[in-house]
Amino acid sequence: MDQALTIVVSVLASIATLLLISVGLAVIFGLMRVINLAHGEFLMLGAYAVLVGTRLGVNLWIAIPLAGLAVGIFGIVVERLLIRPLYGRILDTLLATWGLSLVLVQAVSIVFGPATNGIGTPLGSVRVGGYSFSQYSLVLIVMAAVTLAAVFLLFTRTRYGVMARAAIQNPAMARALGIDTARMNMLTFGIGSALAGLAGALLAPIAGVVPSFGQAYIAQAFMTVIVGGPDVITGTSAAAGLLGGSYSLVSYFATPFIGQAALLLIAIVLLRVMPQGLSGNWRTYL
Amino acid sequence: MSRARAVWDSSWLQPVVVVLAALLAGIFVSDFQKVTLALWVIYGLVALSLDFVWGRAGIFSFGQTAFFGVAAYAYGVIGINLSPTTGETISALIGAVVVASAMAAALGYFMFYGKVGDVYVAIITLAVTLVLLQVMTSTAGPQYHIGKAQLGGYNGMTNIPSMEFGYPGHPGDQMSQPDTYNFVVLLAGLAFLVVRVLLRSGFGRVITAIRENELRTELLGYDVRRAKVIVFAVGGAVAGLAGGAYAGWGNFMNPAPFSLPAAALIVIYVLVGGKGTLVGAFIGAVAVEWLSTVLGGILPSSTTLVVGAILIVVVLLVPGGLTPLIGGLLNRVIPLRSQARRQAAIGSAVGGVGRGRGLQAQGLVKMFGGLRAVDSISLEFPAGQLHCLIGPNGAGKSTFFNLLVGRYRPTEGKILLEGRPITRLLPHQRAQRGIGIKLQVPSIYRELSVQENVWLAAFAKMSSTRLAEAAVDRVLARIGLVERADNPAGDLSHGEQQWLEIGMVVASSPQVILLDEPTAGMTHEETIRTVELVRGLAETATVVVVEHDMEFVQRLDAPVTVLHEGRILAQGRLSEIRLDERVLDVYLGRTFRATGS
Repeated sequence: MDQALTIVVSVLASIATLLLISVGLAVIFGLMRVINLAHGEFLMLGAYAVLVGTRLGVNLWIAIPLAGLAVGIFGIVVERLLIRPLYGRILDTLLATWGLSLVLVQAVSIVFGPATNGIGTPLGSVRVGGYSFSQYSLVLIVMAAVTLAAVFLLFTRTRYGVMARAAIQNPAMARALGIDTARMNMLTFGIGSALAGLAGALLAPIAGVVPSFGQAYIAQAFMTVIVGGPDVITGTSAAAGLLGGSYSLVSYFATPFIGQAALLLIAIVLLRVMPQGLSGNWRTYL
Repeated sequence: MSRARAVWDSSWLQPVVVVLAALLAGIFVSDFQKVTLALWVIYGLVALSLDFVWGRAGIFSFGQTAFFGVAAYAYGVIGINLSPTTGETISALIGAVVVASAMAAALGYFMFYGKVGDVYVAIITLAVTLVLLQVMTSTAGPQYHIGKAQLGGYNGMTNIPSMEFGYPGHPGDQMSQPDTYNFVVLLAGLAFLVVRVLLRSGFGRVITAIRENELRTELLGYDVRRAKVIVFAVGGAVAGLAGGAYAGWGNFMNPAPFSLPAAALIVIYVLVGGKGTLVGAFIGAVAVEWLSTVLGGILPSSTTLVVGAILIVVVLLVPGGLTPLIGGLLNRVIPLRSQARRQAAIGSAVGGVGRGRGLQAQGLVKMFGGLRAVDSISLEFPAGQLHCLIGPNGAGKSTFFNLLVGRYRPTEGKILLEGRPITRLLPHQRAQRGIGIKLQVPSIYRELSVQENVWLAAFAKMSSTRLAEAAVDRVLARIGLVERADNPAGDLSHGEQQWLEIGMVVASSPQVILLDEPTAGMTHEETIRTVELVRGLAETATVVVVEHDMEFVQRLDAPVTVLHEGRILAQGRLSEIRLDERVLDVYLGRTFRATGS
């Protein structure tokens, strides 16, 4: 029973991690159709922002949302300089953001050095009988749920959400209706970036902060969004549940090595069986 | 002049020149430099695999370094386990190629048979590469070994044997690193030659066709999915060859090639060298590596930064790459004009016999969510007859047409060709069974010449280069585009493009021809000429025309079926239908009076 509880927590924490790293990408890639290969580096910047914040003496719980905000602003700058000239040129966007990713990794390792910086994991651990898990896992799970709900409400229930989706789906029509599509795209890209920064910041205490921070996550993030399919938020959640759940279960009973391989295999087989993604046949709200 | 150009363009000359130049260069450099040069050639080989897959076949793959890496590990595993007994590593090199090719084919199968889009192919191959990075990095423990070969995690696999050519009992000499240079150059030349020969074959033209217009190629009856898997497998094999050579060159392999910067480098080689030029892959690899060696001396810690910057600059400023730039300069000095190849007209007419086959729809239903776009339509198109389908917007014409074509699968009902069900066949399989399809929007290969367009259509049916060329002249005469044979199809007027596409349909000698609004966007004169053309088609095939233009339908003078709200509203000659009250209601938007009936 105690073991079952710790397994449940660890599965949920895996799913939460996958959700957190994917949700920003779900907005930028899933919704806006912009391929941002620097997404991993946006996560990495969020982690470094928290590092800098805590070193300056800012409380961790305040530093985390600030890190999200900072990366969001950085994202807006990137959108203006790099993404905007390349809208509609998918492959060029991909290559340019890839270049950006390489530049960011190198720049960060010049500034902060290539070594791993740790931020102590806050909160203690919970003991359940002979087993224990970190309380921070619970924080991740709650934060993932809150973020997801917030994004869903933002894009379905607010004026901004409707206008942003209109600007993406039919820019000409949206402009004709008086929507400033350039501004909408900039904002949406910024929100996606902020979500990435927030995820990186949340993960910083449990993962080491290194320049290659993003590389560990980017593949899973893209896989999750692709497997999720067109229904961006619910699809991504379902995919995170499926992939994260099977990864952590396989890892638990075998090794993380086999867990990784299983995740990849499931994702590829799913694409053959459901090329439209999990949500391909759902009624689409978002 | 043009003769010199033709020789230069032939399959073998470029590889031979490049190999000779590289071997000659090898005489003048030190052994130490040879070791480095060998590595650059190996990188060039990986770039060649990407240029084939991306530059020629249009599939953007991040996976080439993954195939390279897996092959290098395969060479290591086979070499370490076998070479002490067999005295050779040829088996390891072949094994590396086979493993990489099989992996590429398997991955390609899941992606291309799943019909995932281009962008997804890029992302999936990238994800596979990065997951391999994580997987291989986590193999540090002693429990991760295959036979005697330790995988070694991030520190990598060591003691991989060099190339050797002995046989059991008589181990060959392990090749020294400087000698490996000559060997690698020969391997690269061979791969270069094979790729060029492949691109020259009929299959090569099909690859180009897929790159230019995938949908049209599928409708011509080519199995696009299979072709792409083959392309991917060949690309994987070339990358695998590089991987095997790399492991034999360095006696060492670690997961670094699976990383993002490594994958980026290959793309940069291709972009810098000039996408689609093939030889540019080697030029790009050597140029970029040389540059980063020089820069590495000046800015030791910033090579990745420079690589990233090169990527951004090339994408934004020099999208064509170096090779076309150099080629342009050379052409100025020695003007070699490429003369358009005129295929000799070979007399014998091909195909065009018979009266076509009958096509039948039985109780077809197509639902979109809750909407019954096609609501149980049963309709027979007798062999060798012309038939028109008309109806107002939203009548279900397009949906019905797409069901016949095979782009949609019906919710219920059957489609029979000469009595045999074809309901579940994909578009290219229907095309192979003799259904020729022309979509509403002209779907041609804009970059290819008019005759190449027709050739591709003919080749789909005949699989013989000569027969296809004969058919080209016949078809061009029929659609009246002989004079424009060498023009790029994109230069034709809208009407001419429509004719060209009809010509492409005719070229495959179909038994059934489906035309969706063939006169869309045509001038009055062009429409009248099209009437003759379409009536001519009905002499050898069953023809179904979906049309809006009433004058065109009237001039065709064929039986007409009117669709409305997914059902058949009326059938008969246009003159009779014009008197039908219900049809008038539908077309004039009058309230439907036949209530209760």
